[in-house]
Amino acid sequence: MPDALLARAVQPLPVALPNLFKRGSPLTLDRDEHLATIEAIHSGLAGLNYISNEQIATAVFLAYHLDKPVLIEGPPGVGKTELAKSVADMLGISCIRLQCYEGLDESKAIYEWKYGKQLLYTQVLKETLGEILDGAKGLTESVAKLHEFGDVFFSEEFLEPRPLMKALKEEAGCVLLIDEVDKSDHEFESLLLEMLSDYQLSIPEIGTIKANPDRKPLVFLTSNNTREISDALKRRCLHLYIPFPDADLESQIVQARVPEVPAELRRQLVTFIQALREMDLKKVPAISETIDWAKALILLHTESLDADLVKQTLNVILKFQEDIESVTGEVQMLTNKALKGS
Amino acid sequence: MEKTIVDFVKVLRTAEVKVSPAETLDVMAAIEFVGYEDRALFKNTLSMLLAKNPEEKETFETCFEKFFTFDDVMQAPVAGGSPDEAEDSDAFEDENSGNNPQGQPGGKGSGQGSGNPSEAEDAESGNEDTPPPTSALGQLLLQGTRSDLMVAMAEAGRAVEVNQIVVFTQKGLYTRKIMDQMGLKALQEEITERQEAADRGEQRLAGKLKRARDQLRDQVRDYVEKQFFLHADEHGKQLREELLKKVKLSNLEKRNHKDVQEIVFKMAKKLVSIHSKRRKTHKRGQLDIRKTLRHNMQYDGVFFDLKWKSVKVDRPKVMCICDVSGSVSNYSRFLLMFLYSLAEIIPKVRSFAFSSDLGEVTRLFQSSNLEDAMAKTMRDYGNGSTDYGQMLEDFKRNCMDDVDNKTTIIVLGDARNNHGDPKAEILREMYEKSKRVIWLNPEPRSNWLVGDAEMKKYGPNCHQTEVCNSLTHLERVVSNLLKYAA
Repeated sequence: MPDALLARAVQPLPVALPNLFKRGSPLTLDRDEHLATIEAIHSGLAGLNYISNEQIATAVFLAYHLDKPVLIEGPPGVGKTELAKSVADMLGISCIRLQCYEGLDESKAIYEWKYGKQLLYTQVLKETLGEILDGAKGLTESVAKLHEFGDVFFSEEFLEPRPLMKALKEEAGCVLLIDEVDKSDHEFESLLLEMLSDYQLSIPEIGTIKANPDRKPLVFLTSNNTREISDALKRRCLHLYIPFPDADLESQIVQARVPEVPAELRRQLVTFIQALREMDLKKVPAISETIDWAKALILLHTESLDADLVKQTLNVILKFQEDIESVTGEVQMLTNKALKGS
Repeated sequence: MEKTIVDFVKVLRTAEVKVSPAETLDVMAAIEFVGYEDRALFKNTLSMLLAKNPEEKETFETCFEKFFTFDDVMQAPVAGGSPDEAEDSDAFEDENSGNNPQGQPGGKGSGQGSGNPSEAEDAESGNEDTPPPTSALGQLLLQGTRSDLMVAMAEAGRAVEVNQIVVFTQKGLYTRKIMDQMGLKALQEEITERQEAADRGEQRLAGKLKRARDQLRDQVRDYVEKQFFLHADEHGKQLREELLKKVKLSNLEKRNHKDVQEIVFKMAKKLVSIHSKRRKTHKRGQLDIRKTLRHNMQYDGVFFDLKWKSVKVDRPKVMCICDVSGSVSNYSRFLLMFLYSLAEIIPKVRSFAFSSDLGEVTRLFQSSNLEDAMAKTMRDYGNGSTDYGQMLEDFKRNCMDDVDNKTTIIVLGDARNNHGDPKAEILREMYEKSKRVIWLNPEPRSNWLVGDAEMKKYGPNCHQTEVCNSLTHLERVVSNLLKYAA
């Protein structure tokens, strides 16, 4: 909150300072500090319990410095959405989220007219029409007078901004998260192009709405790869692929997210999950499942894994009966392996 | 450095990573921020901007390692070439020695390495028992650092345009060219001169230089090899693929099967990306009352925004009947391969194989990989003489109930019925019941009515008959199938 207050207090100052920072405005000070180097991003995110790897930090760094959206792909549950939220938290700006689904269109993503209000306005206009047209002779004169009156009907007052437009209008900048783009229709993808390349939107009745050039929104798009995203969209984005983490990173993540887990148990469960990922399963457990499992084990006051316990809690990490059945037979072996591994 | 990036992009493009000029510009802009110093950072940046799906990332990884790695090249040759390389080098030796006598006299050759005078002087003072080499390349070899040598090699490589290499037989040529460019002649000259000299120090130096030269040759050859893999290998592959696409499938040799499979997957992928968009066809003129009512509520129920009915184009339901008898089996193989590679956009493929009796192989193809499935199909159904009448009869008995007006039936076969009863009336029934019947015949149209072929009777009972004997044909057929699915 204090950050926001500070920003507001500084905002009205006419900015004519020399180029101290790359963006040229003292407003971007705290932002720039967070995003100045890749290490800063790394530690900033770690402070919010989001353990990033080098690629992730680089992506955020480049996204900010090149003004490019980031398209994040990867299996479900590796923290794609979480990244956007964490970045917003780190920078202390709001995160505007647009969840995509089939049938999402511009009236839900960009803007809509407030029809009710517009109707009301015409009613009011009708009543005051006499006053406005007072003294006008003939049709031409009346029309001329009406033109003078100004076109409020299609103006911003009657505009209901939806996520994309809200993101552009956010003066202090924001993180725009377009979640699961692959779920939306092809038409919607094309709709995004203008927004993603120029940070502007065209509304036929009003004109173009542009983002604050110093505070362009940081855009993150996530995709689960259910279908191939069009080349046009990909071309405009940085492409970040987040794979399943290796044992080391996963252990760090568990530590950050569920600090109550003792080191030994953490190592065991990470080893176990890593082994599961090697198996031929319908859906392999992701990081989110590892975290859930760690939490569950803590609730059950577990000190160390054992086969029975694993069998009972298998439904936390595996989401298909088929998978559970195929793993159950292996549990003993996997648990032993996890216990043994140094 | 910009040129290097452009070169790298070229390499990526030959390796089938699609990189647009705009992306290249993005890379340039990004590098201003990240610089070249941190290799990992540099690589991550490039990877993010250039490779935009997991497969491309993988290709990028290998290309980057090959393109931007110099140190490895320098370390490998020290251990000495492998035996088969030695054979190669003999050939060079001959070439070189043949060339030697005409070598131009004089110390400094055309070498353009970084062996500058000051460096040579430094070395002179430090090296007492052997005199310093006089040729530029010799200096570079004995006194320069590895990276100096590498830079010289890369520069020479660029000067002789090693990235124009097309076929592997040019490797020797380019190795020579690079060596020459680096000042080989002057070095040779020096070695001979010193060998003939009486002084022991001189002779020792000559020996040293000789060893260094041989090492350098190995290194250059390695370098050229790498360049070849970067620039030419993929190019040759593209040529081959173009060729394979047009060749008759029955003439394909077994060793090409893998390549063809790759091409099929590639084509399938292209089709998937084209057709994964589910189109809506608008039936203008048919008002959708419910939608209109609902939509116009916000205008106080005044109908001014009318909604029309639209039909979503459904994914086709495909039944594929393949002749797997000897002559046609290859075609069936690739058609099935194609159809199953398209699982993403045509999820409902049922396949049947026959030569006389018809059997369903859908499950087989879903559960095991193509090669195994094909082999099993051949084993189970491939024997016996073709009997289309029997096939149609079997189809009628087992599957006719599943055929509805959304089903597309593809029959692949040469319609050579061994003079048996064609039973075209069953095909007629299928024609009436299904949405489309497509007959694919691998024989040219002129042969369709010759001998025991029954196309005359089957043809009129199909919506479409096509000649289909190469991958290009196959692609066209499948693409049409998807396009007119509505």
